Amino acid sequence: MERLAAQLGRAVQGKPTEVQRVVTCVVAGGHLLLEDMPGVGKTTLAEALARACALSFARIQFTADLLPADILGAQVFHSQTATFSFRPGPLFRQLVLADELNRAPPRTQSALLEGMAQGQVSLDGETHPLPSPFTVVATQNPVDFSGTYPLPDSQLDRFLVRLSLGHPAPDVEARLLTTRGAASPLASVEAVTGPEELASLRDFAAEVKLDASVAEYVVRLAQATREHGDLERGASTRAVLALGSAARAQALWEGRDFVTPGDVRTMLVPCWAHRVLLRSAVQGVSARDEAAHLVEELSRKVAAPR
Amino acid sequence: MKRPLRLRLVLRDLGAGAAFGAMAVSGQLPLWVLGVFLLSLVLALSDVRIVARHARLSAVLLLIAAVLLGLRLTSGAMNAVVAACAFAGLISAQRMLSTPDSSADGQTHLTGLLMVAGGAALSGDMTYALCLIAFGVLASLSLALGVVEAAVPDGEPVPVRSVLLPLSGGLSFAVAGAMAFFILFPRLNWAMVGPRSAPGFGAVSSAGFSDTVRLGGAGTIKSNPRVVLRATLTPDPGREELDAYWVGRTYDTFDGQEWTNVVGAQRTERQITLRPASDTLLHQRVELLPAYGGRTLVALESPSRLGNALALTPTGTRASTVQLHGGGEVRFTITAPAYTYEAYSLPPNAKADASSGLRAEERDQLLALPEHLDPRVAQLAASVLDGEKEPLAAARKLVSHLQRDYAYTLEQGGSLEDPLADFLFARKAGHCEHFATALTVLLRTQGISARLATGFFGGARMDGGYLVRAGDAHAWTHVFVPGRGFVTVDATPPSHRTSQGFELIEKLLALYEAVEGRWRQSVVDYSFRDQFELASKLVRPPRRTAEGAATSSRLPPMRAWVTAAVVAFLVWRLGRIVARWPRRALRLEATRFLDRVDALLARAHVPRREDESLEDLTTRLARDGHPLALALTPLTRRYLEARFGGRALREGEAEHLLRTLRRALDAEAARHAHKPDEQAGPTARAS
Repeated sequence: MERLAAQLGRAVQGKPTEVQRVVTCVVAGGHLLLEDMPGVGKTTLAEALARACALSFARIQFTADLLPADILGAQVFHSQTATFSFRPGPLFRQLVLADELNRAPPRTQSALLEGMAQGQVSLDGETHPLPSPFTVVATQNPVDFSGTYPLPDSQLDRFLVRLSLGHPAPDVEARLLTTRGAASPLASVEAVTGPEELASLRDFAAEVKLDASVAEYVVRLAQATREHGDLERGASTRAVLALGSAARAQALWEGRDFVTPGDVRTMLVPCWAHRVLLRSAVQGVSARDEAAHLVEELSRKVAAPR
Repeated sequence: MKRPLRLRLVLRDLGAGAAFGAMAVSGQLPLWVLGVFLLSLVLALSDVRIVARHARLSAVLLLIAAVLLGLRLTSGAMNAVVAACAFAGLISAQRMLSTPDSSADGQTHLTGLLMVAGGAALSGDMTYALCLIAFGVLASLSLALGVVEAAVPDGEPVPVRSVLLPLSGGLSFAVAGAMAFFILFPRLNWAMVGPRSAPGFGAVSSAGFSDTVRLGGAGTIKSNPRVVLRATLTPDPGREELDAYWVGRTYDTFDGQEWTNVVGAQRTERQITLRPASDTLLHQRVELLPAYGGRTLVALESPSRLGNALALTPTGTRASTVQLHGGGEVRFTITAPAYTYEAYSLPPNAKADASSGLRAEERDQLLALPEHLDPRVAQLAASVLDGEKEPLAAARKLVSHLQRDYAYTLEQGGSLEDPLADFLFARKAGHCEHFATALTVLLRTQGISARLATGFFGGARMDGGYLVRAGDAHAWTHVFVPGRGFVTVDATPPSHRTSQGFELIEKLLALYEAVEGRWRQSVVDYSFRDQFELASKLVRPPRRTAEGAATSSRLPPMRAWVTAAVVAFLVWRLGRIVARWPRRALRLEATRFLDRVDALLARAHVPRREDESLEDLTTRLARDGHPLALALTPLTRRYLEARFGGRALREGEAEHLLRTLRRALDAEAARHAHKPDEQAGPTARAS
């Protein structure tokens, strides 16, 4: 995992914590939602991830006129044999970058749903399995709202982790200017692991021990979000499970074979901030920060097992 | 305000209920107080605190109740202790129903204590002690939960299981220890300090003797399982079921409807001798229980001497004289709920001539017939006897005829003009009084002297003695045999002589009565003498090993299996608990270790945010490059492993880690002490 993080760090400099969360998310077998303004390296990060893991990669630019068939694939008529055959779309890759996901109409967004949840695509009554591992890295721009379709809650709930990279620190930015030049940062990223190794990492993560008291702690946190006065809707059961697997991957990252309450707290905001719904009408960046703030506050209020 | 733990309130209210029960078992509290308290208890248990909103109204009601009780007290209708107890119960009920804050809790427990003390002044029997123990246990659990609840921060669950389990264990030890102490050391007799309750379940009479036996009475008594009499026999017959007759009194005159007694002497003495003793007397120590409800002494056939009578009254044990009435009936002169006395009886086949003691008028009365006797009765007797004149042989002939042609029933024929003729010629079914009356009258028509005897038949073995139930009440016939005296002849079919109640209820009641008897013997009446006997028994080795082996080999296999199963179950449960112990201990150990680390860090004033765990602190220090991180990192790792990773701390490891930490803290403190000096130097100079 650390090798992976080191490779990613080469591509996205000055963001060790975020890079680590990305790795954790991938090891936990979840999908990633990057929410940031343009030009901070979201795409670079996703591509570097694909390269470092040696995964097949596709990038889909979501636009307002994108249709489900454009990403899933379609039945194509062969005039020679007079038969239809399935031509898989760009979704049939191990790592899919869904760029500016919120620009596509809901119909296209939900076409992603089945793929993300079940790892398969149903088209014209036929089920086509997606490659394994299958990871979606979606990005969206939280500032520019014109002509966007906000993601439905059901879709948001399917992303294990939501991150925002933010601007790099000034010294990192300066170094970028001096060292990078014309060379693509991706060129320096080497494949350090393969799909098989990633799968075994996921198996390891799933076997990380979660003590009953820690599990109870997670449930108590969920209870607290459900009872919180400022939240319209608290964490779902899927959110509880997601936090569990994210905390497991985090424990693995720390080199432990058991989850501590600290792991849970580390993954709490990335895992849950996008899953709770605020009562207040604020939108965009401020809503995101508010939710993150509330969830973090809860983590301080709910006593951890000791 | 924090919502109180429901379980704690339930325990508190149940404890108050047990304390109230400690008073209520004396049976002296007014019924309305009982009703009010029970209603409040039910409301409190279902978490309906009605007083919370009407505190003033309830206070006024309490005041009214106090005035009522005071009036009854001054008018002499109520004992001061009873009045105080009743009022304590009402206060407790009011407190239970008010808002459950800490003061209400304390007051509920306090009134509970008052009620227990009041109960001690009212009664000292076993149910009281059970209530006392229940109160002690429940109130302790509730108080302990209250302490834990106060210590747990807001929003966190109270660790009820982990508190109650060890606490219950400790409480059971305490109760067992207290009981051992109670038995080993003599104590004040309750009867000396206050009124004393009667043994058994309350004082409701269900059996007993009237001056007459009327045919056609109620038949439910035969199924009444209440124990009326407890007796220890010397020599011990050693049988499970005693087939003996306990005679209470006899009747010599039948008027067609009921039996009465017209002749008989009247004497009042400490001891009554009914007939001369022989050298093989059967000694009985008898205890009459409140269910008996009469004053007549009963003894095994044929009683020779009755005496040594003690009346167990609510104010203590008193010696009583006994009085001889007609029909050989001996009565206590004092009315009390329960009595004890001793009796000597002649064994069934002893040769004793009582005829000499019989006067001519008495003997004539044994042949008297009702005025309007159905002529068919004499015809029937003559046809069955067929000239047999020898009294016993004649009686046996009649008995076999009755048992063959007549059925036993507890159903009553209703109020009849001639119940005897109805039994003999119409219904041909009846109960023991019909059979006995029929036999007696049939014998008399043929010139054979006989009389009716009433009392009890049977006796179930329990705890070295015998129990007789209200349902064992019976009637039979005494046939006068010249030169031998009265001989017992029973016309009732043998299977219907004893109690006809449900076996399970009988067994349960017998068990309760046996435990209760043992309780009176070893607790209520426990004295220096008993302690001395116990000590000498302990010093002297038991010599009856052979006998013990014989009884154990006779243990029914069923009972043995059940016992073994129960023991096995208990062992299994214990094993489960013990098996779970190490895991819990391990977890607790890690947490205890954390507590010690926390204490060390707090003493060393390591900067730490309020909601920061050791894990967070270590991470932060390590990130800042703090020197303490070096010592804290391995320690934190081991703690986390032990707490969440299932790898317990090795022996001495905690101490080792703590020592390292202490050393690091000392070094840190020294460094700090050094630094201010350095900093203070320049500033001092600068100023």
